[in-house]
Amino acid sequence: MPLKILDNLEEWLITFLIGAATVVIFISVVHRFACTIPVRMIQDVLIPINVSWAQELCIYMFVWMAKFGAAYGVRTGIHVGVDVLINRLNSGLRNKFIIFGLLAGVLFTGTVGTFGANFVWHIAHTDQVSADMELPIWIVYLAVPLGSYLMCFRFMQVACSFIRTGELPHHDHSHVDGLEEDVVPKDINWLDMDDNLHPHDLKNKQLGENGKGGGQK
Amino acid sequence: QQPIVIKLSHVVAVDTPKGKAALQFKKFAEERSKGRVRVEVYANSMLYKDKEELEALQLGSVQMLAPSLSKFGPMGVKDFEAFELPYLFDDYADMHKVTQGPLGQQMLKKLESKGIVGLAYWDNGFRQLTANKQLKSPNDCRGLKMRIVSAKITDAYMRALGAIPQVMSFGEVYQAMQTGVVDGGENTFSNIYTQKMYEVQKHLTVTNHGYLGYAVIANKRFWDGLPADIRAILESSMRDATKYNNDIAQKENNEALAAIKKSGKTKVTLLTPQERLTWKKALVPVHKQMEGRIGKDLIKAIYKETNFDPARL
Amino acid sequence: MNIAIIFGLLVALMITGMPISISLGLTVLSFFFTMTQMPIESVALKLFTGIEKFEIMAVPFFILAGNFLTHGGVARRMINFASSMIGHWHGGLGLAGVLACAMFAAVSGSSPATVVAIGAIILPAMVKQGFPNKFGAGIITTSGALGILIPPSITMVMYSIGTNTSVGTLFMAGVVPGLILATLLGLVAWYRARKYNYPRMPKATWGERLRALRECIWGLLLVVVVMGGIYSGVFTPTEAAAMAAVYAFVVAVFVYKDMKFRDIPKVLLNSANMSAMLLYIITNAVLFSFLMTSEGVPQMMAAWLIDMGLGPMSFLLVVNIMLLMAGNVMEPASIVLIMAPILFPVAMKLGIDPVHFGILIVVNMEVGMCHPPVGLNLYVSSGITKMGITELTVAVWPWLLAMLGFLVTVTYWPALSLWLPRMLGMM
Ligand code: NA
Ligand code: NA
Repeated sequence: MPLKILDNLEEWLITFLIGAATVVIFISVVHRFACTIPVRMIQDVLIPINVSWAQELCIYMFVWMAKFGAAYGVRTGIHVGVDVLINRLNSGLRNKFIIFGLLAGVLFTGTVGTFGANFVWHIAHTDQVSADMELPIWIVYLAVPLGSYLMCFRFMQVACSFIRTGELPHHDHSHVDGLEEDVVPKDINWLDMDDNLHPHDLKNKQLGENGKGGGQK
Repeated sequence: QQPIVIKLSHVVAVDTPKGKAALQFKKFAEERSKGRVRVEVYANSMLYKDKEELEALQLGSVQMLAPSLSKFGPMGVKDFEAFELPYLFDDYADMHKVTQGPLGQQMLKKLESKGIVGLAYWDNGFRQLTANKQLKSPNDCRGLKMRIVSAKITDAYMRALGAIPQVMSFGEVYQAMQTGVVDGGENTFSNIYTQKMYEVQKHLTVTNHGYLGYAVIANKRFWDGLPADIRAILESSMRDATKYNNDIAQKENNEALAAIKKSGKTKVTLLTPQERLTWKKALVPVHKQMEGRIGKDLIKAIYKETNFDPARL
Repeated sequence: MNIAIIFGLLVALMITGMPISISLGLTVLSFFFTMTQMPIESVALKLFTGIEKFEIMAVPFFILAGNFLTHGGVARRMINFASSMIGHWHGGLGLAGVLACAMFAAVSGSSPATVVAIGAIILPAMVKQGFPNKFGAGIITTSGALGILIPPSITMVMYSIGTNTSVGTLFMAGVVPGLILATLLGLVAWYRARKYNYPRMPKATWGERLRALRECIWGLLLVVVVMGGIYSGVFTPTEAAAMAAVYAFVVAVFVYKDMKFRDIPKVLLNSANMSAMLLYIITNAVLFSFLMTSEGVPQMMAAWLIDMGLGPMSFLLVVNIMLLMAGNVMEPASIVLIMAPILFPVAMKLGIDPVHFGILIVVNMEVGMCHPPVGLNLYVSSGITKMGITELTVAVWPWLLAMLGFLVTVTYWPALSLWLPRMLGMM
């Protein structure tokens, strides 16, 4: 149950961040545009409104989105790799490589998370603030350890479930089921397919395997 | 014996005054130490960008930097924001009274609590305003979108002029000026020339309203750990490189102005003393407004060095 | 020596199939651990600051804009308009597909997204009209590649991140080559359709054409918002991307009303997922090129190649071959982010224009997406048509050959890319 909460929190956070960042930049552009309307009264009201922080806020929101989104991406299996070779191996060897890859993910994100935590600890003892919003910079940088540790956890989760069930996060391609009438594509992640860029398990059919021509083997 | 390697990173091009002075320092240091020191200069943000270099120095990933003075404010040493104040110095002589005098040294000492040793101030020059319309008086700036770097003081004085300050990175400026995303900006002659801004700005007013300078700094742990004789060599090399920098900075800014005039692409407007006074009167109130941030005492101390009294304007 | 170790390790890690971002990161980590005195915390710092740049934020914004439009029924209206204009020529609906892809490319920054949007609608319709499956698949797989050549383009943003080239200028430079390639692909389709006598559509009246244009104009205007906005100075390229996202949202939800409010969180989440993956590659690629720089690799490579007396002509040939080879195993974002920072300094030393070099890389990526073993467009088409990859590869070749010919032209005729931005005074 707490896991479900974590999942939801993660999804909610990155959804919010990408939406909010868009709105922030939209507002700042509209503000700048309105400021140049050569009417004294409008200018007197608008110019003193300070939106200099918008760019910085947008960047920070996107960096946070990137860090937590990368963790979410492990769960959805979206990270691309060079899978051409291992996809041609026999299943036993292939599985070993997949597990190796997942453990490499655990190692990297865990290491980086720890360095990040050290770094944040170090920087928290200075008075460094961000340039525009003057936020304490260690809070901003907290995205690195938090995001990396979460990602580390996700890699472990995927590795465990692969070892247990032989399944990897897979993608629902039912929407791409074309050749029918009125199929308006929905929710297709073009970076999210079994396309020799993502390791795929053997329990679920791979794209290109389900047709008349069969797979590429 | 392995030489002591000093990585010196900066964010400007090799052919700017700072870029050249950094190479000069490398030359002096390596010659005088007879090869016991090796200085690796990384220009153009090759190693670290503007936003991360101070953290990298504090971590010890680079040993020396030459960031612009405005970078120390966000680090928690607000004193340095004083250098951003408009019309703080009338000319190079005024400015050197502070940067090359005891007050400047005192300010550098404040960096030590951040794990940083301040070695020297390097000039770039005075900031000028450029735009696509002629800026004769402060009122002409009203409603103009002016590009600034993130800095609270700059933001405040652009607002005092009625302009709309736009934070924008160096790399985006040329195209933003060309297309009109921003109407103008403030830069030294040297930057206006080397970044080709004169091609995309119709007017330049020689306002000399702000000072752009750098501090050469080193990681304190690294610096204190150096053998005393090496440190002495580096200090003397830095002294000479500083002199070299400040000489060529002034000269190159003048040459850049001449080149801009010669290009015929930008009309250069000079201010009469009377006109300059109106600009000063419009901008000096920002000093008072920023007292809370920078500290009244420090501003007073600078006034004292330069013999300036805002009340007498 | 160090260079050999770095690249050897990177390749070894990559071919095990782990995410490219992880193999880049692990290479850097292990190098710093074992070979330098560099404090390792600087890796953590770079992981944040590597993407702390407003220019990079165009990537998530363009992805978001594209996803709103894929959901918004824009593609269907563009297809209707395209077939009303040229559906009566040889090739009929297939030819219209090329035009529709070119139009959708002007609103989307990604090629596979273009294949998805246009292909999912037009391919079933083509089969129904009696076209062989592979004709349509060949057209859409390759025409979809226009997505990254005709602006906006995420690949161009990636290139500009790696090389500090102006995105606005790159976008402008892609227009003419994009239109020419579209014409070329159309010609191939027309020729084959005439040869095999494929069905044509009844000629539409001007009234019908006007109606179809009015229907799809809201979608098409997005390119006006982006390019017009950048060129007229209303926005910077990144701001234009954000405005595109807002505009696409408004069109999908309020103008065409093909998307419901409750679909919005899903679109946001999907876009965030894709963007985060790309941003994670960017971060680690930045880390990797930081390692390259601190080891002096680009400088060394430039010196070495120039020592060998390699001129611009032969250098570009080598670049094309390297990129086409990389296109066999990797997707465009990773290729551009890893290769561009290394090749770019050499290109500059040889006097090659940075914008021309960028367009050349983009066309290379287009080719790479259309052939196996790895080709994003190919896989998307396979998903829609249920054709196998082998069969699809055969279907694609006439158009792929045209693309290769076009690649040679772009490589050795810089004016093709540079004429428009120069005319507009952008460079
Ligand atoms: Na496009
Ligand atoms: Na390929």
